[in-house]
Amino acid sequence: MHLAVTLLAVAFLAAPAAQASAAVEKKVLRMAFRTAEAGFDPQRIDDRYSVGVCENLFEPLLTYDYLARPVRLVPLVAEAIPEPQEGGTRYTLRIRPGILFADDPVFKGAKRELVAADVEYAIKRFRDPKNRSPYGWIFEHKLVGLDELADAAAKSGRFDYEAKIAGLEVRDRYIISFKLVEPDYNFLYLLAMPNVVPVAREVIEAYGADTHAHPVGTGPYVLKEWVRRSKIVLEKNPNHRGYEIDARWADPADEWDRRALDSLRGKRLPLIDRVEIYPIEDEQPRFLAFLNKEHDLLDETPFSFIHQVLPNGRLSPGLQALGVSAYREEQPEFTYDVFNMNDKVEGRENPVGGYTPERVALRRAMILGHDRDREIGVLRKGQAIPAQSPVPPGVVGYDPAFRASAQDYDPPRAKALLDTFGYVDRDGDGWREQPDGRPLMIEYKYNAGSQESRQLAELWSKSMADVGIRLEAVAVQFVDLLKDKKVGKFVVAGSAWIADYPDAQNFLQLLYGPNSGTSNEAHFRLDAYDRLYLRSASLPDGPERNAVYRELNRLLLAWAPWRLGVHRIFNHLQYPWVKGYKKHPILYTNFKYLDLDVAARAAASR
Amino acid sequence: MAAYVIRRLWQMIPTLAGVILLIFFLFNWVGGDPAQVLAGKISNPEQIANIRKQLGVDQPYWYQLWVFVQQVFTFDFGRSWSTNEEVSKILLTRVGPTLTIMVPVLVIETMLAVAFAIMVAYVRGSLTDRTIMVICTTAMSISFLVYIIFAQWLFGFKLGWFPVQGWSESFSRNLLTYAPLPVMLAIFVGLAPQLRLYRSFFLEEINQDYVRTARAKGLPEKQVMMKHVLRNALIPILTNIGIYLPGLFVGSFLLEVFFSIPGLGREIVTAVNRSDFPVIKAVTVYLAMLTMFINLLVDVMYKLVDPRVSFK
Repeated sequence: MHLAVTLLAVAFLAAPAAQASAAVEKKVLRMAFRTAEAGFDPQRIDDRYSVGVCENLFEPLLTYDYLARPVRLVPLVAEAIPEPQEGGTRYTLRIRPGILFADDPVFKGAKRELVAADVEYAIKRFRDPKNRSPYGWIFEHKLVGLDELADAAAKSGRFDYEAKIAGLEVRDRYIISFKLVEPDYNFLYLLAMPNVVPVAREVIEAYGADTHAHPVGTGPYVLKEWVRRSKIVLEKNPNHRGYEIDARWADPADEWDRRALDSLRGKRLPLIDRVEIYPIEDEQPRFLAFLNKEHDLLDETPFSFIHQVLPNGRLSPGLQALGVSAYREEQPEFTYDVFNMNDKVEGRENPVGGYTPERVALRRAMILGHDRDREIGVLRKGQAIPAQSPVPPGVVGYDPAFRASAQDYDPPRAKALLDTFGYVDRDGDGWREQPDGRPLMIEYKYNAGSQESRQLAELWSKSMADVGIRLEAVAVQFVDLLKDKKVGKFVVAGSAWIADYPDAQNFLQLLYGPNSGTSNEAHFRLDAYDRLYLRSASLPDGPERNAVYRELNRLLLAWAPWRLGVHRIFNHLQYPWVKGYKKHPILYTNFKYLDLDVAARAAASR
Repeated sequence: MAAYVIRRLWQMIPTLAGVILLIFFLFNWVGGDPAQVLAGKISNPEQIANIRKQLGVDQPYWYQLWVFVQQVFTFDFGRSWSTNEEVSKILLTRVGPTLTIMVPVLVIETMLAVAFAIMVAYVRGSLTDRTIMVICTTAMSISFLVYIIFAQWLFGFKLGWFPVQGWSESFSRNLLTYAPLPVMLAIFVGLAPQLRLYRSFFLEEINQDYVRTARAKGLPEKQVMMKHVLRNALIPILTNIGIYLPGLFVGSFLLEVFFSIPGLGREIVTAVNRSDFPVIKAVTVYLAMLTMFINLLVDVMYKLVDPRVSFK
């Protein structure tokens, strides 16, 4: 009896201590990136992992609602979404007063408020040649006076940040007005990009060449520790004002939305105290670290483990028993193969280039002969959907009813088309010749460093051999492939594009004639396409613009400068103690919307 | 000896010049244009030209070569083209993790290889000798990658004896927690070829006349093996270790990638993939210099091991 009383007393005394310990236990989220980051100077990066970290350290003027699908712009540091003025050439935003940058020694102990001049400075940084900004193109030919400023800097070697330009008008401490060179109804999407974020000029100037290591923003987290390409630690920014989840755009029928709202409604975000990110390039350790509960999330389940994780498309019983959830995401991206539309390649005749009927027929036959079903089923292990147009699902302008039968795998049609246009085997060697009797040999360039690219190249060779076309796959270094595509030193080559902003324009600009040599790798030049593209750019979102997008897609299918590939599907896994999870198609991370049940995690780890 | 060392040091200069020329020409003729990668997904020729200008790759070749030579002699390779981090800082922060793995590997592997080799050489032709040689041959014929994948799954995930991957800021934690599995794997894989090689060194010595003479004089077997055979076999063993030593600093890329060790091997491969010439230059030059100094050190050690060796 004495023993029981003593034990009870000990338990009674110990209980509050245990509770207190649980109450102060930090919520630490651990996860891996599949590629190493480059750094955290938002205007000097373009890899999605570095940008993903910056999403938490900085805040753009606008952002996307966490739950709304299709995506929806919402204000973040701006007070409201502005209406386009002056025929879509002016946008004026007011910054919320009182937003503070994270503390930094550069501020000498004072609190530093975000002002409109910080936005102006950040946007000018994109065009400062010294910064080599990989996203400089988003403000090229965009804001009145900015190109001239950039050109002058290129000549003088010094960017004049003091110069006032009409395109970036700071009206007072909090108001900034953008004047565009031409109407652009997608401009606001640029202001929601995670690297179009205000930065404090004094911080950038103080850290000089080391700005990658000293990101100081107004975001919900600060960079606490960074061992390059090994460990990234974020901790809550004590200066941050906090967020609340907005339930207005949630879909009550969506299970992920319901779960997120149940976990987050009424709470002040962010809830996670610390985020630890480990770049792990190899698939096995990344997968095993998740299975071992060393990590709470597994973003982008490696394709090589997809049959273990999702046999027959359903989460494996073992993972179900652990309470793991799988989020299936059709990413706003597409893969494609580019036909070089130039007549000549390095001075030699290009067998697939040009706009004559027989060249169009050859390209279309090659597309019909390419075994896309095998690409999806075998190479991509079923984790992709065939692209019907370059515009992926979830992107404004996507038309679910648009079907591209011209891109289906259909070898008999391919052979018939080749026969009709005179691509027949004249010398009996098993390979087709050109209509004038010359040999037909097509070169396909691919990235030598990628196993996936090699497999796709092999599939091309085999598919073409099946319809009698001789195709030689040539492996080149990734950097050479980039260069070759830009300067038109290729015949056919693989490519991919991921949305910078969720509008069809971001994909359809890839065939706009003046973009040849930059993003238009096909060097496709068609007046009809260019006219329609310019018209689409001058229209606001609506049925009229969608009709133009549809027409652009039709032109693409008719002239066949691309073989449309796939929209890839990624599966993201989470343990049950991760609350509030929903993957956003444009934003890479969602730490500020997550919560952790640390007690559940501790219990599962025992 | 001093004259010998000075002469050897002098001979390093043309070797280093050859290394510099080789790296320079390989990078400029075989390597890709780094500006294409740094320019991002949409870039125009002006932007590419601007980046090339900033990197200095638009300068005449002779000037770029001159800058390279200056960097070698000032030990200042500037900043990484891809991350803007100082190259010296990259190397300094990466060499620690690599050595934490590779030094124990070298020490334990050498000790085990020498011990097993002398043992199997002594019982040459016996069942033990044959069994060990079969095991070695089998072990050598399996890819290192297979060992890593299997061991990580078995010992890290299934049995939970070691963490699947990871690295920390604490040296002791790294050595005791994160390093053991990769170290054991590297030893397991490296032991077989070393053992076979050292066995052949010992066998060659065992068949020498001086061993027969020692035995005829009635010296105990232990003394024959440990004093005479071992000492004479140490010269080729030292040479082999000397060849192996520079590799210590580069580490094993596969181990570093699979176990998330932030070492030099992983850094070098990243630099090559990103055409990050300053990092590639620095690592290659330092490695070449290290190899030359270690070769010199090994040659000097011959004298200590075998008094018959003289410096000429």
